[in-house]
Amino acid sequence: MTSLLAVMLAVFAAFTLYIAAQSAKSGDSPAAFVDAGQNLPGWTYIFAGSGALLASVGPYDYLRLLSVYGFQANQLALSLILVALVMALFQKRLWLAARMTGSRSLGEVLGAHYQSTSIRIYVLVVLLLFAVPFAATLLGSAGELLAQASGGALSRAAAISALAAFLFLASALGGWRATIYIIAVLSTVILALLIFSASFAGLVFDGLSVFHKGFSVREGILGSVLPGVIQFSSGIGREVPAGGLWTTTAVLSFALAAAGAALSPSFAFLGLTMKSRAGFAFSQVWIVSGLAAGALLLLGPIVAGEMNAADNFTPLVARFAAYDQLVAACVTVMLLVMLLVAVAFFAASGASVATIELLDRYVVPDLTPRGERLAARVSLAIIYAAIVLLAAFLPALATVLSTLALPLSAQLFAAYLGLCWLRWMSRSAVLVGLAFGILFVVFTEPPGLIVFDGLFVQLPWGRWPLTIHSAAWGLAINVGASLLVAIFTRQDAEREHRNVLHGSFQRDHRIAFGGRAARSAKWSLTLLWVFLALGPGAILGNSFFAHPVFTEADIALGVPSLWVWQAFFWIIGVLLVWWLAYRSRLSTVEGTFRPHELRHLLQVPGTRRQLRWIALLVTRLTARQNRTTQPARRLR
Amino acid sequence: MSIRPLDALDRHALVIAVWLPLLLVAAAVFHYGFGAGGWPFITAGFAVLIAAFAGHVIVNATFGTQFTPKEVALGLVVYCAGLLAAGFATLVSMVFRSHYALPVSLGFLGTATVVIFTMILWLGLRGAFDSFDVIRRFKP
Repeated sequence: MTSLLAVMLAVFAAFTLYIAAQSAKSGDSPAAFVDAGQNLPGWTYIFAGSGALLASVGPYDYLRLLSVYGFQANQLALSLILVALVMALFQKRLWLAARMTGSRSLGEVLGAHYQSTSIRIYVLVVLLLFAVPFAATLLGSAGELLAQASGGALSRAAAISALAAFLFLASALGGWRATIYIIAVLSTVILALLIFSASFAGLVFDGLSVFHKGFSVREGILGSVLPGVIQFSSGIGREVPAGGLWTTTAVLSFALAAAGAALSPSFAFLGLTMKSRAGFAFSQVWIVSGLAAGALLLLGPIVAGEMNAADNFTPLVARFAAYDQLVAACVTVMLLVMLLVAVAFFAASGASVATIELLDRYVVPDLTPRGERLAARVSLAIIYAAIVLLAAFLPALATVLSTLALPLSAQLFAAYLGLCWLRWMSRSAVLVGLAFGILFVVFTEPPGLIVFDGLFVQLPWGRWPLTIHSAAWGLAINVGASLLVAIFTRQDAEREHRNVLHGSFQRDHRIAFGGRAARSAKWSLTLLWVFLALGPGAILGNSFFAHPVFTEADIALGVPSLWVWQAFFWIIGVLLVWWLAYRSRLSTVEGTFRPHELRHLLQVPGTRRQLRWIALLVTRLTARQNRTTQPARRLR
Repeated sequence: MSIRPLDALDRHALVIAVWLPLLLVAAAVFHYGFGAGGWPFITAGFAVLIAAFAGHVIVNATFGTQFTPKEVALGLVVYCAGLLAAGFATLVSMVFRSHYALPVSLGFLGTATVVIFTMILWLGLRGAFDSFDVIRRFKP
């Protein structure tokens, strides 16, 4: 299999370099290197956006969780529908706000709306968490997988370096446009190979048996049911939840963390670089909640069923290799690509946004297009060097830090709400909410726990206490605090400034929620779906179809009742997202606007400045460089 | 029909997004089909290729373009090479003749039928013929 895998990887490497070279010699000017001139076609959002989103939620880890926890972990696939709902809620208005204000990144939009440098810095921190430790963890897993697949011919560090080198080369050559093309193509590869491998397992060997025999989970894990609504455990690392981790509360709170992927600065940047908002609704309804969630929900168990409760993919690949070597190589490629899509996406978006937000704004303002391209390439090199360093030599640190990325990104929810919907959400409200949210996230994830345990005393709780994900702990207090502060600051001095954007939304981009009853119905049905599909109501799915309520009869379905429940709520969920995205016009192309019509919002005093000490440092460095280069010229 | 370089690049990337995954799947299906899988998998391999062609046609319809001369040339070369390889294998290999010749022949025939039928429906008889006249279109 190793030689076949090597050939396939060589084909992929050639493809990435080919696309990058084609993109580099296309008509794009150097100015478009960082953000593709905000002119990417809608289909790239449909494929690359969905692929990047799926990769950030983690199909690779999803398969591992399925093999360890069985159908209770399969419930997590429904979180993609919540992600699609969050996308529908914010993506279009964020795009409009960016186009009207002439912003190029999430930090610029939020910074202009709230007139806050702190929010911009927070966005940058979240961006770097995704771009470095999060991507390093994924690249580390990819390197490990490749090293295992090579049968020892390649060390883990060498595999990591080789994969990173190719990804870097492609992004550095072709810029943001090439990276998105590559991610789009690789996303379709993931989907095609997932469908193929599940079909192969179902047709050639007894892959479908997982539905009637169940997963071969470890003793003590309930493989076919959810282990309760909530468990009063101290958290991971302190106490093992009885029957498995994925209670309904854990599932719902994980879904909130997954929504962090849609709120991340990287994903927002992808949306902002689209030529139009034409692909938004299609991606949200049919690709993310339809195809991606459906593929994970229906096909994931077939593939993961072959892993035999192992924490690695060796048994899975060996099972396919017993029948056909090329099919096994395809499965390995699928797993690798699941990881590499996220690495390429977060590293490239990290470099682009850091160039716009950090270099262009604070270090070297008014960069020329060529200078900006060079700065982006240097940023990309630094980010990839950091990723390889962490992945190859400090994997534990990368893993610990990466746990913060999704939950801290989810804390931007209140800021998004204020930007897109609630004009009374003030800067103070958002900042207070963020401060509390960060505190709760950090102290329910390993970084906070490790540091506090090491420096002071051991905390009585572990990771995700009460089986509630850190994102939910943070969000609960964040949204609560934000609303409380917003009550007192709703008529603050900046209200007029915020009204400008919302006035434009209200005037030209109204949402078709209908009358009062229709509006209530839409939100009530959404909440009802969340309650039954992800929340406490999902516990009914344990036995609803096998032992229907109000009857004494048992029905022999041949598949777990929980899986039928999940499939049923997946279909309802797709319809719900369709209703909101299309019928309620949350994501459709409606209304007109003039680009940069609200440009003045960006140009309020203090929103664009180079700090004095940075200016002095840059001047000194430039002067010193000039002094050292002049004698060299004379010598020549 | 000429389009801007950036649009051409967009279309090119989308065409690759359609073909690359499906070619990979088709290769794996054929590999298993010529091993233990037998004729159902060989037929499935051709079905995957036809699906990729259908995807390419949809891309063309979306962008309002036709197959480029390079695409037609590549398609014809690959098809003829496959045909030659299958013919050669039928002549020299007893196993191929007895087990795979029929599904492979039907597959090639089916693929050609789908391609020609689509071209005639889309471009008319004359237009379809012109599309395959690659040598003339490559001339300066």
